[in-house]
Amino acid sequence: MSDDIKISIRNLYKIFGPDPQSVLQHVLDGTSKTDLLANYNHVLGLQDINIDMKAGDITVVMGLSGSGKSTLIRHLNRLIEPTAGQIDVDGEDVLAYDEHKLRDLRRQVMSMVFQKFALLPHKTVHENAGTTLKVRGVAKKDYLPEAEKWVKRVGLDGFGEHYPHQLSGGMQQRVGIARALTSNSPIMLMDEAFSALDPLIRTDMQDLLLELQQELHKTIVFISHDLDEALKLADHLVILKDGYVVQQGEPQHILLNPNDPYIEDFVSDINRARVLRVRSIMEPIEAGNVPSNLAGDVGENDTLESVIARSDGDTSHTYAVKNNDDIVGVLDMKNLVRALVPREASEAGARNY
Amino acid sequence: MAFYDFVFEKLGLQDWCNAGGTVENAPSSMAALLAQTGVVEERSAIDIPFPSLDELNDSCGAILQSRDVTVGVEEGFLAMKSGLRWFLDPMTQPLSWLLEFALQVAETTPWWIVFLALAIVVYVASRSFKMVAFVISTMAFLAFIDHYDHAMQTLAIIFVCAFLCVLFGVPIGIAMSRSDRLQRFIIPVLDMLQTLPTFVYLIPLIFLFSVTEPKLYGIAIILYAIVPVIRLTNLGIRLVDEDVIEAAHSFGMTSKQKLFGVQIPLALPNIMAGINQTIMMSLAMVVIASLVSAPGLGVLVLRGIRNLELGVGLVSGLGIVLLAIILDRVTKAALGRVNAAQSH
Repeated sequence: MSDDIKISIRNLYKIFGPDPQSVLQHVLDGTSKTDLLANYNHVLGLQDINIDMKAGDITVVMGLSGSGKSTLIRHLNRLIEPTAGQIDVDGEDVLAYDEHKLRDLRRQVMSMVFQKFALLPHKTVHENAGTTLKVRGVAKKDYLPEAEKWVKRVGLDGFGEHYPHQLSGGMQQRVGIARALTSNSPIMLMDEAFSALDPLIRTDMQDLLLELQQELHKTIVFISHDLDEALKLADHLVILKDGYVVQQGEPQHILLNPNDPYIEDFVSDINRARVLRVRSIMEPIEAGNVPSNLAGDVGENDTLESVIARSDGDTSHTYAVKNNDDIVGVLDMKNLVRALVPREASEAGARNY
Repeated sequence: MAFYDFVFEKLGLQDWCNAGGTVENAPSSMAALLAQTGVVEERSAIDIPFPSLDELNDSCGAILQSRDVTVGVEEGFLAMKSGLRWFLDPMTQPLSWLLEFALQVAETTPWWIVFLALAIVVYVASRSFKMVAFVISTMAFLAFIDHYDHAMQTLAIIFVCAFLCVLFGVPIGIAMSRSDRLQRFIIPVLDMLQTLPTFVYLIPLIFLFSVTEPKLYGIAIILYAIVPVIRLTNLGIRLVDEDVIEAAHSFGMTSKQKLFGVQIPLALPNIMAGINQTIMMSLAMVVIASLVSAPGLGVLVLRGIRNLELGVGLVSGLGIVLLAIILDRVTKAALGRVNAAQSH
């Protein structure tokens, strides 16, 4: 994962209503969302969003419904126009694009996957997957092989001549992903792409996405309302609430150091043992300075769950943490157990159910 | 003398009234004439007449009679007529040619070629041999009772008119779906065409065109039958799934790609339903249009009514019902195929 910033959002505001520009100044002066609606009859969709998305990363934007996450992703390819702010893609200001350049951006640079799949019902799977090339004017005989390749890659080999209504939801979304991949664009926008699917299918699709990402290194912007999904996929996690960014950063870091009661509430319900990884809670050591009383070694990207399974519940051990073959830290099982309890819960006692 | 005399007396308008002309009651109906010859009854408060034009005219000659209104409309229309004819006549002439050509083809083509062509068309539309057998046996029955020629004339007229309805209706519907302003403007026109009794717009058409010209009934049928295809095209495109439209935008489709690649194909079930309705309404109108010399089964129905030939009227009526069933089933089968390909 390189450090190139692919997409940079600066001071982005979106106000819904009859005359957003007229009330923008009030928002800049600090009028709250509630006051804006009560006094000026405008809805504050997004306020002061600043996010840098690195090339090759999966950036997950998470929030509950109404938090503005779907609005945010639609600003990236300007399906929704912002009220104020700046969006740079590869250093170019997307908001300054004219119609022609914007169309090229949507055709070549960004492809999108939708919650409700949005496939063309009268086209076959192959034709649907080829839509992104077809709109560029690629001839059918040229885009079909490309579409077939990606349909096969997402695991739908043999379904190419089927129509969308003959497929299950999960299979339809595979077509949606194949369609986005066929465009060969460096950026993929995924708007709650897996939210409409059954939990088991959803896990399959998440695995598929991670597997594809290993190979393709796209810049993915993923919208989700599911924290487990967000933690599983995210390299960079952005948590939205009421249109502003509550916290953003590395997911493990957010999980261990939530900076807002809203997020603490969020993270208190997840299975921390499955999400947290050894590297997040180990104590780093200098090379060669290895303690002697180690009970064994674990990988730095192992989940705590797998470590607990290995330790057989014994909390007295300390393990060496390895990155490939180098020992990079030690993991005290006591720290591990402590990390399993949310900070809020450890401070305020157990939550009352 | 007349009831409202006192009003004009009070207002001091007698001079104006008398200057306007003599109070001469030209009767506008037989009833009025009879009333004029009879004794004028005394009126009590119970039967105060409504101050209508005729009633006021009785009191004041300067006020127009109701008859003048209809005469005025008529004169106005006749004054416009030559102007209207000047551009409507050449503009609609191709319709006459088309209808004449279609009727000629229907009459001169040997019956077995027509049956073969019908079978092919029905199969292409419905992909069902059962449907083909049904249509052919129905036509054979009509031919067997010697109603074949009339049925073919009716079919030929419907074919031409429905084709023109689709040709103009679909683009109008598309234009309407893309502009709310145009929709606001066109919907009242469609409402009027649909609610106006069919006989009413035959009247001006008779004055505009000669009764012997096929385009007279052609226009009447098209005006009546074009409404559903416009409405349903407009509706169908407006009902296309917002998510798919958004996807089309996100892939950078131009509005032309969006229209032909997404909106029209997805609106097709609705457009087809509109075409089905248009065809059925053409059939309804082609019967009425026999009043203005449209050939076909309607002529036989009309003969049945005029000459009280019960059998002729009923048998040709049955023929119309059979044609209606054929047209409806075949278009519905085509619609069903489109629907099946798109079901979600």
